[in-house]
Amino acid sequence: MRAFDFAVAETLGQALTRAGSGAGSAYLAGGTTLVDLMKLDVMTPRQVVDINRLPLRGVTTDRSGLHIGALERMSDVAVHPLVTARYPVIAQALSRSASPQLRNMASIGGNLLQRVRCGYFRDTSTPCNKREPGSGCPAIGGENRGHAILGTSDSCVATHPSDLAVALVALDASVRLVGRDGTRDVRLADFYRLPGDTPQLEHDLRPGELVTRVTVPELAWARRSAYLKIRDRQSYEFALASAAVALDLRDGVIRDVRLAVGGVGTRPWRLPEVEEALRGMSPRPDAVEAAAARAVADARPLAHNRFKVTLVRRTIVRALTNLAG
Amino acid sequence: MQSAAQGAARTVSVNRVDGRLKVTGGARYSADHLAERAAHGYLLLSTVALGTIRSMDVAAAQRAPGVLAVFTPFHPLKLNGGGNPFSVGHSWLPLQDAEVRYHGQAIGLVVAETFEQARDAAALVSADYDVRPPAASLPDGIPRATDPGRVNGEPAVLNLLADGVGTIDEALASSEVTVSGTYSQPMKHHSAMEPHATVAVWQDDQLTLYNGTQSASLTLGTIAAALGVEPARVRVISPHVGGGFGNKIATWAHPLLAAAAARTLGRPVKVVLTREQTFTVTGNRSAVRQTVTLGARRDGTLVAVKHQAYSSQSTSGGIFETSPHTTSRYLYRAENIHLDQKIVTLDVPPPTWMRAPGQESGSFALETALDELAVELGMDPVALRLRNDATVYPGRNVPWSSKHLDECYRVGARRFGWDRRDPAPRSDVRGEWLVGTGTASAVYPAERFPASVKVRFQADGDVAVSSATADLGTGMWTVLAVLGSEALGLPVDRIRTDLGDSTLAANIGAFGSGATASTGPAVAVAAEAASTELIKLAVTHERSPLHGVPAADVRYDRGDLVAPGRRIGFAALLQAVDVAGVEATGSTAPGPEHGQHAFTSFGAHFCEVRVNRWTGEPRLARITTVIDGGAIVNAKTARSQIIGGVIFGIGQALLEGAQVEPATGRIANANLAEYLLPVNADVPPIDVHFLNHPDTLFNPLGARGIGEVGTVGVAAAIGNAIHHATGRRIRDLPITLDKLLD
Ligand SMILES: Cc1cc2nc3c(=O)[nH]c(=O)nc-3n(C[C@H](O)[C@H](O)[C@H](O)COP(=O)(O)OP(=O)(O)OC[C@H]3O[C@@H](n4cnc5c(N)ncnc54)[C@H](O)[C@@H]3O)c2cc1C
Ligand code: SF4
Repeated sequence: MRAFDFAVAETLGQALTRAGSGAGSAYLAGGTTLVDLMKLDVMTPRQVVDINRLPLRGVTTDRSGLHIGALERMSDVAVHPLVTARYPVIAQALSRSASPQLRNMASIGGNLLQRVRCGYFRDTSTPCNKREPGSGCPAIGGENRGHAILGTSDSCVATHPSDLAVALVALDASVRLVGRDGTRDVRLADFYRLPGDTPQLEHDLRPGELVTRVTVPELAWARRSAYLKIRDRQSYEFALASAAVALDLRDGVIRDVRLAVGGVGTRPWRLPEVEEALRGMSPRPDAVEAAAARAVADARPLAHNRFKVTLVRRTIVRALTNLAG
Repeated sequence: MQSAAQGAARTVSVNRVDGRLKVTGGARYSADHLAERAAHGYLLLSTVALGTIRSMDVAAAQRAPGVLAVFTPFHPLKLNGGGNPFSVGHSWLPLQDAEVRYHGQAIGLVVAETFEQARDAAALVSADYDVRPPAASLPDGIPRATDPGRVNGEPAVLNLLADGVGTIDEALASSEVTVSGTYSQPMKHHSAMEPHATVAVWQDDQLTLYNGTQSASLTLGTIAAALGVEPARVRVISPHVGGGFGNKIATWAHPLLAAAAARTLGRPVKVVLTREQTFTVTGNRSAVRQTVTLGARRDGTLVAVKHQAYSSQSTSGGIFETSPHTTSRYLYRAENIHLDQKIVTLDVPPPTWMRAPGQESGSFALETALDELAVELGMDPVALRLRNDATVYPGRNVPWSSKHLDECYRVGARRFGWDRRDPAPRSDVRGEWLVGTGTASAVYPAERFPASVKVRFQADGDVAVSSATADLGTGMWTVLAVLGSEALGLPVDRIRTDLGDSTLAANIGAFGSGATASTGPAVAVAAEAASTELIKLAVTHERSPLHGVPAADVRYDRGDLVAPGRRIGFAALLQAVDVAGVEATGSTAPGPEHGQHAFTSFGAHFCEVRVNRWTGEPRLARITTVIDGGAIVNAKTARSQIIGGVIFGIGQALLEGAQVEPATGRIANANLAEYLLPVNADVPPIDVHFLNHPDTLFNPLGARGIGEVGTVGVAAAIGNAIHHATGRRIRDLPITLDKLLD
């Protein structure tokens, strides 16, 4: 860890002023990503601004939907009655993330901004385009069982790690971003970038900007929603594949559906073409499987993660048929 | 705390006497020892696998805040070679040359005022290497495998053939049924919860080393030799060890460097390995590839067992997996047995002992092959094993002292409900889950070493029972208390145990599942000797109420001395004569019985698995394990031992494996986020049952050892159950969902 300046912001204005242009500065929420990566010398901010005293709390609803403050802790949101009743997919995505201890510390905003879990990214003795642009990507020819099959580039194949983001992308959620130049709302699906030639740029947050809240639009039938996370062990592991599904099922027919997958894409992966194929269908496994095949039409598997092409399809089938059944 | 009822049968069930200390944080592990003025060391590790360090730039680190010294091969700490190579985990001593033998090798030590300063300064050191391409892949190395010569005292290639049979292949060719399979498993790591740590404190030319170890005496000998000091000037303290699994027997780089740095700097030095560092600075279990070919008659009688193995070994030496010689060598009766152990020497960190070294991998191959044979024969896997139960040790005309593997199977099958099983694969589908059951044998030899124990009657009414053995969470603190209680006829809570200190009564430590079997018998001998001393004092001391009574008329009875018409408690006696305590040391060692019998623990595992028909993940539903381990000293800690062993096997079966990059020799998953160990959610209900037949031919206690046997066979039982559930035979561990997606 490098020496850094530390400041505690009491107000939003103070935080933004402290961060200034944002260069070399990092906000500290739960610290479960930031401090970890600082200890590994992967993130090296010169200044850390603690935002935990900012009033970015609360889980509320109004006509525009459900709002979750960026500093709400994962563990609290996972059991919040509004969330468990109306958006089970969010509660499940959260409660299947990380460990209880981490969820007690980790914030919603921090979760959406966590960094990739690629082992090369985390090991400064190896090259990595995301950590050191232009240095190369050892994962492509190295250990890549956990890496992505969708949205990859020749520069980076790291999987987006957040479970919550998958659920939120399925639900068309947006984030509110507040900076010195004002406030804007961005759909989460548009917020995350593909790696392309610039894997170091992961999202659309401008330097110094803060995430203040997440908004999930009202969706009555999201009460029938679920998050299925597939992994080698049953807890405390990132997804090999996951599916966030909400289903509007009437008379045995899928009227509408929201579907996004995790563990397979370089960002949380919404599947509009599969949703399209599912609409009007009755959710029988064979039919769902055929529709799910569209998810992987453009998949680019690597040496160790070819199984994900099948696995993600099956994850979709299992999630949907369980939810329908 | 519960206390043992007086005169109760041997199997008591008491809580850990150290339990309260552990759950309240009062138990001090090595890193918890806060020596005054301690400086902190952080190891520098190589970032290439093979080559020579040309230079190291340490200037920035030396200038960094708090840094006291940076030791490297170019500015080394002097260590002496040739002292006690047995107990250093690798063939070289750290920093004595500039060679790099594997990725993650210790190449330096930064010492600073705080851990963070040392770590941050370490990040500023850069090394410049002449790099050579490493050999790091077991499969790639097989064409140049070598014969290790001897394995467990026998030739690495061993033929036990029936009269008139020329080769094992002849025997196989004439078998009515044969099956053959190749089984592989990756390199593995012990991953004890307590990382390796050392605090080295010098005072007046005396070194005290707080170092988590399975053997204080081996550590002491190694450190003394490497530092060139008299063994009498070294003391090793390790009262609590947070898991060892074989990886805290050898001495690794960190205590050697900590002790040398502390001497050079004139202040205590503490070195705690990070989790990542434990993967390469300490030992591992070899990667293994095995082929087992079985020949049998239609009725299931084994005619030929051919077991070949390639185990990874390090250019730095180490203890490789000896799979055939520890399993197929004697687990079943077969007319013809052929074993062949080869090693593949790689530029990887050294393998060392790891819980059931050899049996763990060997049983996976043999016990899976037996299941394949059962399927081929259409025979029940339990019946097949009972048919081939060995009663004398194959190739030697010695019987087992006490062997009840058949009973393990019968009892286990009943407890598990094995008879309800439909043998057809994929015959039990429940919703989206394919359900299957499997079984396998466990086997582990009983070891016994010389051991001494001291028993001391104290004037405060307690009795101290102590020995320089170790408790790795294994329950030794409690076993000493239970055995002391039985030998002395006192409640457990009047026994004060002490262990994990090289100044205590001589004891080689805890490994080979031999700690209880070795130390236990010495407790009774020491108790007897101490009572004799007590009587001697009672009859000779003039202030003693028994003064002048002939010693032959006094006996010890449950804490009291009894003479005709008189009885006095030992505490009252000691107080009357104003003596703080009376003590004696008792020693025991294995005797001539060791040529006359084979001593082995056995067991049978049964398990039920579920495999998701869509996404393929295997999940355990329940496990029954029945153990034939001789007498059980404390049922409660014994059960924990077996549960822990079974969980170790779950890791082997479903999760664990180092990802060694073939091109770089780097372990890509050297952390506990990616090197997956079972978590609670992965562990099903485990039903443990002990047959509890005392093996008094082995030792007076009748107890063999149970630290390792519980692991052996678990992976095969799980793999066999997965085959039953799905119809798929996975011969490559770990059995992960990608191998089961169809
Ligand atoms: C062992 C382990 C296992 C894990 N497993 C999972 C898992 O299974 N699934 C999963 O989804 N996650 C998992 N995580 C990741 C974990 O969920 C994230 O680390 C956590 O959510 C981050 O939140 P935080 O509040 O601690 O963020 P911090 O570490 O405080 O911040 C993370 C980043 O976001 C920035 N930041 C934080 N808040 C804001 C804000 N409001 N505005 C602008 N920038 C901000 C910080 O500057 C930093 O760059 C795991 C983490 C660990 C260590
Ligand atoms: S996949 Fe991305 S994060 Fe991983 S090494 Fe390649 S560039 Fe770095």
